[in-house]
Amino acid sequence: MNAWLFALPALAVYVVFLVYPAITSLWFSFTDWDGLSPTYNVVGLQNYLAMPKDPVVIQAVINNIIWTIVTIFFPVVIGLALAMLLNGKVRGKPVLRLIFYTPCVLPLVAIASIWGWLYNPQYGAINEFLRAIGLGSLAQPWLGQDSTALAAVMVPAVWLRVGFPMLLYLAALQGINTDMYEAATVDGATKSQQFWHITMPSLRPAHYIVIALSLIDSFKVFDLIYAMTYGGPGTATQVMGTWMYFNVFQYYQAGYGTAIAVVITVVAIAVSIPYVRSQTKEHAV
Amino acid sequence: MTGTYTRRGFLGLSAAAVAASVAACTGGGTAPAPAGGGGSSAPASNNLRVFTYEDNSTIGMFKKQIAKFDAQAGTTTTVDSLPGSGAAVYPDKLRTELLGGKGPDVWRIWGGQIGAPFVKAKQAMDLAPYYQKFGWDSKINTTAIDGMTFDGVKGGAPFIALGIGCWYNKAAFKKAGISGEPKSYAEMEEANDKLVSAGITPAGLGGKYGWDIMRLFEYLLETSAGPELHDKLLTGQETWDRPEVVTAFTNFKKWQDKKWLPDGALGLDPSDVEPWYVQGKTAYTITGPWTEAQAIQAAKKDSADFGVFQLPTDQTPQRHSGFVEGYMINAKTGNPEKSAELIDFILKPETQKALKISASTVAGAEPDPKELPLSYQWSQGPAKQPFYTIQDQAFPKKVADQYFAIQSDLLQGKITPEAAAKQMQSAVSAWAKS
Repeated sequence: MNAWLFALPALAVYVVFLVYPAITSLWFSFTDWDGLSPTYNVVGLQNYLAMPKDPVVIQAVINNIIWTIVTIFFPVVIGLALAMLLNGKVRGKPVLRLIFYTPCVLPLVAIASIWGWLYNPQYGAINEFLRAIGLGSLAQPWLGQDSTALAAVMVPAVWLRVGFPMLLYLAALQGINTDMYEAATVDGATKSQQFWHITMPSLRPAHYIVIALSLIDSFKVFDLIYAMTYGGPGTATQVMGTWMYFNVFQYYQAGYGTAIAVVITVVAIAVSIPYVRSQTKEHAV
Repeated sequence: MTGTYTRRGFLGLSAAAVAASVAACTGGGTAPAPAGGGGSSAPASNNLRVFTYEDNSTIGMFKKQIAKFDAQAGTTTTVDSLPGSGAAVYPDKLRTELLGGKGPDVWRIWGGQIGAPFVKAKQAMDLAPYYQKFGWDSKINTTAIDGMTFDGVKGGAPFIALGIGCWYNKAAFKKAGISGEPKSYAEMEEANDKLVSAGITPAGLGGKYGWDIMRLFEYLLETSAGPELHDKLLTGQETWDRPEVVTAFTNFKKWQDKKWLPDGALGLDPSDVEPWYVQGKTAYTITGPWTEAQAIQAAKKDSADFGVFQLPTDQTPQRHSGFVEGYMINAKTGNPEKSAELIDFILKPETQKALKISASTVAGAEPDPKELPLSYQWSQGPAKQPFYTIQDQAFPKKVADQYFAIQSDLLQGKITPEAAAKQMQSAVSAWAKS
């Protein structure tokens, strides 16, 4: 009983600010509420049934999948490589760590503005650089054409997300007992063998956390795309998060938009189950 | 423990979903009322809050006039502004404030389909009693009032009716050997060719958000379709799947292919690219009179080095794109009388002049020819001509976005002008039917 009393304040905050809005949103997903009028009609599953017929939803799901794969794979691989590098004997380690981690703490809108200018087709640094080194033919309207827009937004996403896995991997690497490497060296193991048979297995808990959190983060993507392309050109860079926003806030289709939000939430919860379970097990031990 | 909660969470969600599904056969409901009954003002208070989108060049003047009103009316008015966001973002913020129960008493908004949802959802008050009380019907331009009347409800009081024209850099025209302002569409194309030959990008327009580059297409549509057909197309009374529309889309593509638009125009932010004509990076842009204060004078340039003209359509009457902006009153405000008094104060010619409104709807509030010579020139010429509704006010946002996506596909060569016309018909007819 005492335990519940201690938990009550936090529980109350959780219920009021998370559970109640979530249940309310769920309810609105079964209505045709425009998000502004005082009244609405209940339409059952109509909003959910409309989703597979909405070509932008299909495109958004595909974009979300591409986004998730790219913005997990590259930051994790690059983050691990940087962590390995910084875990070795490198000069200026603290400075390098700060440099690599800084993008993580920059506001996303600021990052979007900076990269938007870099990508400017006429005066942006990227095209200017390509022209300067004689590769002007490769200069592109990066954010202005379907073929490159999504990839162009993913580049800053990768850039800003490298620091987070790097930091976690670095902490995990520093926790590996160096005796194991010394023993392996004595036994004649190569650096590659040491990496695959000592380092990688020892990093398993870190992999879990990094990949699970990155997965959740990737599925919630909104800010960068909204600020850099506004879902365009056309609908080329729409993802579920932005399409939800457009429907709720711009098209006065709050019922349909919240149905999209419910789907995003369910997927995010589903992918977080392994992470939550792993944490639960860890604490149980 | 966490795992248990997660499973319970799932169960809770599933149960709620099932319950909602079962309940979801028929029926209706009421959206949650904001705490405290809505408006930001308590009934007995003289506090008002105005929400607007004045930028740095105008917010000071606006606040000064509001202070003057407060001194006269005994009110305390707070001004909140969201500058530079355009019609793509500002209505969202307003909507969120209204639903959150802290909506402003008075807000500035665009007319047409941007302002309409607030009136249809009864978030904005019917201002008919105040039109009568303050005689706004006789003071404000009738066409402008129509732009803020929705299904017969006078939901807003327009104070500005803006026309879109061609604002150009005289030095760029001179460098390209263009002797005078184009008088026909053929001369417009000829001028573009000369500018490109002189190494100058003609039109500074950006396609991010869609609405900026739309101004070019609507001009081309007015040119090929003419006033009567153009108006019918905007209301879905005529099919878009027709030769005049195909011609407009063909010309639209031509503008890009002949490099009359900046490279990668579709991805450019209008707020970046529009002022390029002032810097000489482009020759002109297609915009409204606010550009004189916000782009030319803000860059400390002399208005005499720039010019403005109505884009030639070869049609009679010669029209340009236009839209209105005005003020609405929160239906739940505790101070409707003071809110209306505030709007009436803003609508007075002396206030309009003090605010340097470049295209006022109020007679006697023309811009000062010494301070805003180009805006004055526009007000005395093209502004007196009829205008067609700018397309992002003519269509609801969803249809406008479909239209922008079609423009985007066309410019990228993914669809033909014929296909674009068919797709437009499909989007507009679905809306018109609904």
